[in-house]
Order: sequence, then structure tokens, then C-alpha cells
Amino acid sequence: QPPEPSLLRFLVCPLSKRPLRYEEATNELINEELGIAYPIIDGIPNMVPEAARRTHKKPPAEGAEQP
Amino acid sequence: VRLWRCRCPALLSRPAGALRASRGLAAGPEMHFGFQTVTEEERREKIYQVFESVAKKYDVMNDSMTLGIHRVWKDILMHKMNPCPGTLLLDVAGGTGDIAFRFINYVRSVRQRQLQRKLKHNQNLSWQEIFESYQKDKFNSLGDSQVVVCDINREMLKVGKQKAQHLGYSEGLSWVLGNAEELPFDDDKFDVYTIAFGIRNVTRIDLALQEAYRVLKPGGRFLCLEFSHVSNPILSRLYDLYSFQVIPVLGEVIAGDWKSYQYLVESIRRFPPQEELKAMIEDAGFFKVHYENLNFGIVAIHSGFKL
Repeated sequence: QPPEPSLLRFLVCPLSKRPLRYEEATNELINEELGIAYPIIDGIPNMVPEAARRTHKKPPAEGAEQP
Repeated sequence: VRLWRCRCPALLSRPAGALRASRGLAAGPEMHFGFQTVTEEERREKIYQVFESVAKKYDVMNDSMTLGIHRVWKDILMHKMNPCPGTLLLDVAGGTGDIAFRFINYVRSVRQRQLQRKLKHNQNLSWQEIFESYQKDKFNSLGDSQVVVCDINREMLKVGKQKAQHLGYSEGLSWVLGNAEELPFDDDKFDVYTIAFGIRNVTRIDLALQEAYRVLKPGGRFLCLEFSHVSNPILSRLYDLYSFQVIPVLGEVIAGDWKSYQYLVESIRRFPPQEELKAMIEDAGFFKVHYENLNFGIVAIHSGFKL
């Protein structure tokens, strides 16, 4: 489920507070600078660092490491 | 090593003392979970588990424990906020949506009255013009007001989202899973920040207050509704009796979960009293910080402004 478009206006990366890019293919919010992606589950963006995965590691890892 | 642990020492300029640790301030090695002593890590996890476990019965339990009075407290909070249409609200630890729904109802009714007044002043309109004005405003029944509900617990958000669907709330409402200590929002974004019965469960209250300050627009308002301290000795005794004898039993009978409600009662006792919370809010940079006791201090609403 994609997120609310209005919500995307407000969201930034909780770590760097920098803007995010919505990737429709994987339904994730991507911080290009730090190379991490936050998942969107059931339409709810999961914006805690523990849930983010590194974008250069292909499969979403369980217990992704922190950048 | 988790990033937030790395950043914590950098953010701390104050020495960690045992008292400060128990007040949800500096990251001392030991913290409280109700009356137990745990590490910061353990505390976060235990609290997460408490809410994961109670999520489905959260509303029922609130009604039972407070005999429905929590609804009045939340109504009072909304009246104090008195939002006008166009307000952007961030409701933190808002899990099951009680504050968010009230906000939407409130701005919707204010908006209704606005539209009615406008119509009253335009008595010489043709039917066509009146029809058109209804069309225009039909799609703006909230007057561009928006509420973002942010909670760290997935189960609570799930319950909230389901409630919203069930009650027909969709416009102007969004849900985010996030940490009050590390909000995923940009600076100077929101008109109002609320945290109702949530700040007690935050491990680092000082960080949450700093984040609240950061995301509020200049002129924005911070509102906190939380259990507090009863100074009257007789009432305090009765309140203690009720809390420790009745509430965990209700928890077991209704939610099948004695321990979570034991935690609830203990966490209320451990939470800083009114004046101390006021000082913490001022420390975060807020001005005109006031509090209002409800029911003799069982609950208090703290308010501050980012000026």
C-alpha cells in the first residue's frame, strides 16, 4: 500500500533530517546520502532507524545494521 | 553499535546522575521500568512489549480504569488547543487515534460554523450561486487541517488505523511509525504538538521535548496530557488504593494482563510531578509554560510555546 501523498511532504530521515525519495518499485523511502531505505508497511512508513536497510545490500536484511 | 547510542553522548552535556536517569534524562546505565531497575535498552523493549500486548484492549481498558473519564480529559485537551481550520497537528504516541479523531471533529465543526456564517452574510445569492458555494467547500470540510499520528508501536498504530476506517476518518489524517526521541519530520513544520498519556513511556524525555521543539513552527504550541501527582494526602491515599488494588485486577480480568497494568500504575508513580515536568519543558526552550491540574492532579495538561 502506498503512503499518503500529503505525508511525504513532512517526512525526512530521522537520523540526518534530510529529504527522502519515494521508490514506488520497492515501496520504500530512500535516503540517497546515507544509502538507507525505510519500508512502508500497510501504508504506514516505518521511520525508525532499526527498520531501515542499506540500499547497496540487495535483500532486506533482518535486523539491519545502522549506518 | 546503534547509531542512537553513539549520538547520545554527543548530545549530553550534562553529567549522568542516578536521579537524572530515573527522570528520563541523561543516559545513565540504569533506568526504571515501573518500580524495577533496568537498562535503557531493556526499558524500551519492555515498554514496547507492554503496548504490543495491550493494543487491542487499550480503549476498553482506558474506559474501565478511568470509568470513562479519560474521554473528558481528552476533550478538555482539545478545547484548550482550540484549533482553527488549517492547523497542522502532530500527535505523538497517538497510537489508537483518540486525539487525532477529536481534532478532526473539532476543526470540522469550526469549519461548518465558518461556512454557515459566510452563507448567512450572502443572503442575496441566487440558488445557482449557493449550489456552487456548497460544491466548492464540500471538498474542504476540514479547511486544510491535517493531523499526523506518530507512534513507535506498530500494534497501536494498526488498531488506530482500523478504528479510523471503522469510524469513517480518512481525510487529513496520516499514520507514521516513529520514535518520539528521533522524529522523522523536518524543522519548523507543525502548528501544534500533542502527546497524550505517552510521554511517561518515553525513555529519554529530554530528547522527546527537544524534538518537539524542533518540529514546531515558531509560535507553535506544545501540549502534554499526562498522569501527574496528587498533593492532597487523603485523595492521594485513595488514589493509591485504587491504583494498586483495582487496576491490575481489571487488567487481568479484561485484558488478561496483570503485569502490563502493574507497569502502568508504577510508571505513573515514577513520573516527574507537575513542577518538575514544567522545568524540563522550559529546559527544552519552550516559553510561557503552564500546567493545569485535572481531578486534583491525577492528570495534568502542560502547555508551552516555541517563541
